[in-house]
Amino acid sequence: MSEVKTPKVESKGKKNRNYLTGKEIRAIVRSNNKITRALEKKKRRKAKEEEFLSALKDDRNILEVEDLHTYFFTEQGVVKAVNGVSFEVPQGSTVGVVGESGCGKSVTSMSIMQLLQGPTGQIYSGEIRFKSYDFKLDEKKRPIPVWETDEAGNPVFDEKKDKKGRAVLDKEGKPVLVQRQKRDEYGTLQYEMEEKVFNIAEMPIREMYRLRGRQIAMIFQEPMTSLNPVFTIGNQLDEVTLLHFPGSSKADAKRRSIEMLNLVGIAMPERVYKSYPHELSGGMRQRVMISMALAGNPRLIIADEPTTALDVTIQAQILDLLRDLKKRINGSILLITHDLGIIAEMADFVVVMYAGRIIEKGTASEIFHHPMHPYTIGLQKSKPTMDSEKDTLFNIPGNVPNPIDMPNYCYFRERCSRCTKACFGDYPPMTQVSPTHWVACHLYDEKKEEEK
Amino acid sequence: MINSVLAAVSGRQIVAAGVLLAVIAALILAGFILYRVVVRKREKAEQTVVDKIKTREELEAHNAKYISSGNFAGFDDALESKREQAIRERLAEEEKDLPPDEDALLEVRHLKMYFPLKKTVGGKVTLALRAVDDVSFKLKAGETLGIVGESGCGKTTMGRSVLKLYQPTGGQIFFEGKDIAGYKPKAMRPLRTQMQIIFQDPYSSLPPRSTVGGILSEPVKVHKIVPKAETKDYVMKIMEQCGLRDYYYERYPHEFSGGQRQRICIARALSVKPKLVICDEPVSALDVSIQAQIINLLKKLQEELGLTYLFISHDLSVVKHISDKIGVMYLGSMVEFGDKKAIFSHPMHPYTQALFSAVPNPNPDVKMDRIVLKGDIPSPADPPKGCKFNTRCPHAMEICKHIAPKYKEYEPGHFVACHCYSQED
Repeated sequence: MSEVKTPKVESKGKKNRNYLTGKEIRAIVRSNNKITRALEKKKRRKAKEEEFLSALKDDRNILEVEDLHTYFFTEQGVVKAVNGVSFEVPQGSTVGVVGESGCGKSVTSMSIMQLLQGPTGQIYSGEIRFKSYDFKLDEKKRPIPVWETDEAGNPVFDEKKDKKGRAVLDKEGKPVLVQRQKRDEYGTLQYEMEEKVFNIAEMPIREMYRLRGRQIAMIFQEPMTSLNPVFTIGNQLDEVTLLHFPGSSKADAKRRSIEMLNLVGIAMPERVYKSYPHELSGGMRQRVMISMALAGNPRLIIADEPTTALDVTIQAQILDLLRDLKKRINGSILLITHDLGIIAEMADFVVVMYAGRIIEKGTASEIFHHPMHPYTIGLQKSKPTMDSEKDTLFNIPGNVPNPIDMPNYCYFRERCSRCTKACFGDYPPMTQVSPTHWVACHLYDEKKEEEK
Repeated sequence: MINSVLAAVSGRQIVAAGVLLAVIAALILAGFILYRVVVRKREKAEQTVVDKIKTREELEAHNAKYISSGNFAGFDDALESKREQAIRERLAEEEKDLPPDEDALLEVRHLKMYFPLKKTVGGKVTLALRAVDDVSFKLKAGETLGIVGESGCGKTTMGRSVLKLYQPTGGQIFFEGKDIAGYKPKAMRPLRTQMQIIFQDPYSSLPPRSTVGGILSEPVKVHKIVPKAETKDYVMKIMEQCGLRDYYYERYPHEFSGGQRQRICIARALSVKPKLVICDEPVSALDVSIQAQIINLLKKLQEELGLTYLFISHDLSVVKHISDKIGVMYLGSMVEFGDKKAIFSHPMHPYTQALFSAVPNPNPDVKMDRIVLKGDIPSPADPPKGCKFNTRCPHAMEICKHIAPKYKEYEPGHFVACHCYSQED
C-alpha cells in the first residue's frame, strides 16, 4: 500500500504554528475518511475462509507479525502508532515487548486481537499470521464431537433424560439412547480439532470471534475496569465456557469456572464464584482475569502490563503464577510491560520498541548482557537497581517525539549520545548481529560495511 | 374515608388505642435505657480489667507464663490488644512533655490518624480505620527519609498528616522544635512556606486553566516571598533550576508531557523556599527514562538548596537510590527503620526481606530465591491480633498471633518490631 501522509494546506498571513487551522483540520478529516471507510468496509465484509488462510514461515512459531502498520487517523494527522513491526512468538515461549508509554506496544497487542477503536484506529497493512487450533467443522458448519469409547473401542450410550432427570421414552416405551461425548479433565465437552494458519490482518471482525478468547486470550492492565461491576465473577467466567464450548450446560460451565479459579490459586473458589468484582482485592481481581483468560483454553496469552497496577509483593505472586501456568497449559505468552526487571525474569525473547518501531530484538540474555542500541543501553542504565551504588543515574535527555508526521530518520537522533553523521540520513534498517539478535542503528550497519 | 372510620369507632376506643401506643413507646424507651445501662456497666467492668495492668512490665509479667510455655490456650486476644492500646496511649501521654530533639528538623512521635467508619448517635467512634497507628521517627535537616510499603499501608496518609492536610487523631509532630499537631489551619499558614508536597500524578495536580507562570507565581505572591516587582525574575530563576525553558512561562499544563509536568510541580513546591519537601510517589506515574531525569533533578536540588525530603514510594530501587534513611511500613505501623546501608545489607523484619526479594532483577541469569508472600494485605479496619504481619509471615510463631512485638532498637538507629529477635531489654 502507498505511503500515508497528512495533507498540507497553504495558509495566508500570520499563524500560530502550535495549532492547526479549521481549514487544515477539514482537509485532514477528508483524506482520513477516504482511507478509513475503505478499511472499515473490508473489516465488515463477508469473506470465505480461503481469503485469510495463510502459512507460517517457520512451523515452530505460533504467531508471526510481519511489517505491521497500525495507524490512527486523527484530526491532527496520521499517528503511525505501529510502523513496520516484525517479530515472531515461538511455541511455548514468552516474548516480552518493552518500551516507554506511547511507543506502540499496547497497540501491537490490540492489533493482534483486532480490538482497535474504529474508525480511527486501523491496521493499515502488514500480516499477522497465527496458528490456530480450532474445532473441525462438518458441512453444516457444526463442530464434530469426539465420542467416548469403552476399553474395547465401542461407542458408549447413555439414556436421554429430561430436565427433571426422568428417562425419555420413545413410542415403544424403550428409553432413548444418546451417544456419550468425551469430556476433558475439567468436564468440558471435547470436539475434533484441526490446525489452521490465519492472517489476522485480513480477517473480518465476525471471524475474529473464533479466535478471541478461545485461541488468543488477553489479560488487561486494570483488573477493576476490565471486570463488569454488575455481574458476579461466576457469571462472567461461565460466559467464556458457554460461548466457546458448544453444547456445554450451565453446570458444566460452573464446574469449569471453579476449576479455573482453583488453577490460579484462589483459596475459596466457590465463594469467589458468587462474589462481585468490588469485593475482591487487586491481586485477586487480576487472578480472576487470568482465570478468565485460561477458561477458553487459549494457546497464546497476551498479557498487557499485567502487574502495573499491583504492589511488588502481589506482582511477585502473579509473575510466579504466569510462569507456572505457561508450563501447565503448554501455551505461549506475549508479555507487554515497561519494566525491564519483569522482562528479565519472564521472557525468553525480548523486543524493544521506540516510537512505533522495533529498534532491537533478541534473546533475553543478548538484550541484557550485550545491548547494542543506545536506547536499550540507556534504558538499562537509567533504572536504579537494588545492587548498584551509583550516585547519579544515567539519564536519557529529552522526551519521546511527537508521533504525528514522523520524519524519515532515526527517531532517537535527538536524544542519542552516540549520534553520528549517518544518523542524519534515512531510518536505519534492521541489522542482524547474531542469528537471533537484530538491531536498527546506523552504528552497526557502518561497522558491517567496513568489515566488507 | 377517614370520616367514615371515625364515625364507626367510639371515643372510648380512640382513647384506648392512644393509651396502648403510649405504653408501647414507654416500654421501648425503658428497654433502650436498660440496654444502655447494661452496656455501660459492661464497658466499665472491661475498663477496670484493662486498667488492672498499667505498665508494659506488668503486662509482660502477666503474659510470662504463656510466652515461656508457648501454649496460648485460653489467652484473651481482645483483652490483650486493648491493654496494649491502653499502655501505648499512656506511654504517649508520658512522653508528651519530653523536649524535642534539637538536631531533628522533623520529629514525629506516636502519630495516629484514624478515620471513623462507624459512629454512635452521640458521635462516639465505635469502629475506626487505623491508617497510621503509632508511628515515630526523626528526620535531620538535609537528609532524605524513604518510606516504603504496599498500597494501603498508610504511607501517603502519614505524609499528609505530617503536613497537617489531615488533622491527626493523636501524637505529636515537631517541626523545628515546635509541636504543630494541634495547630489550627490559620496557624499553619506561615508554616506552609516551610513544608511543601509534590504529588504523585502530575496530570491531575496542575490547574488546567492557568499558565505555568501563573501556577508558579501564585504561591510567591500569596506568601510574599519576594517583592512584587521581582516575582517574574524569581519564578524564571526557579524554572531554570528545575530544567524548564523560559518560554514555558506562557504555556498551559496540557502542552507538556508527564516528565515536564512533574518538573513544574517540583518548581511550584520550591518556589516558596521550603525546608521540608514531602515527595508522594513523584516518579511512579512516569516512564523509566523520565524517572531517572526527575530523580537526578531532585538530588541536584537537594545539594544546592539543602532540602530535606520525606520520600514516599513503593518502588524500592528508587527509594534505595535517593534515601539516607528508610522506614518500612505495614498496615499503618513502622515495622523497620534505619540507615539505608543497614536495612539493605541485612534487612531484619521478614516483611522487609520479602519486599526486597520481590523486586524484579534486571538480569536474566540471576534467578533469585523469592520469598513470595501469601495472600493480600489485611483490612486496616480490622487488623490481625498480635503482630499485624502474622497472617502472611513465613516465620510466624504462636506468640506472633497473640502478642504485638515491641518496636526495639537492635543496632544504633536500626529499629525493628519482630518476635524473631530477642524482645528483652
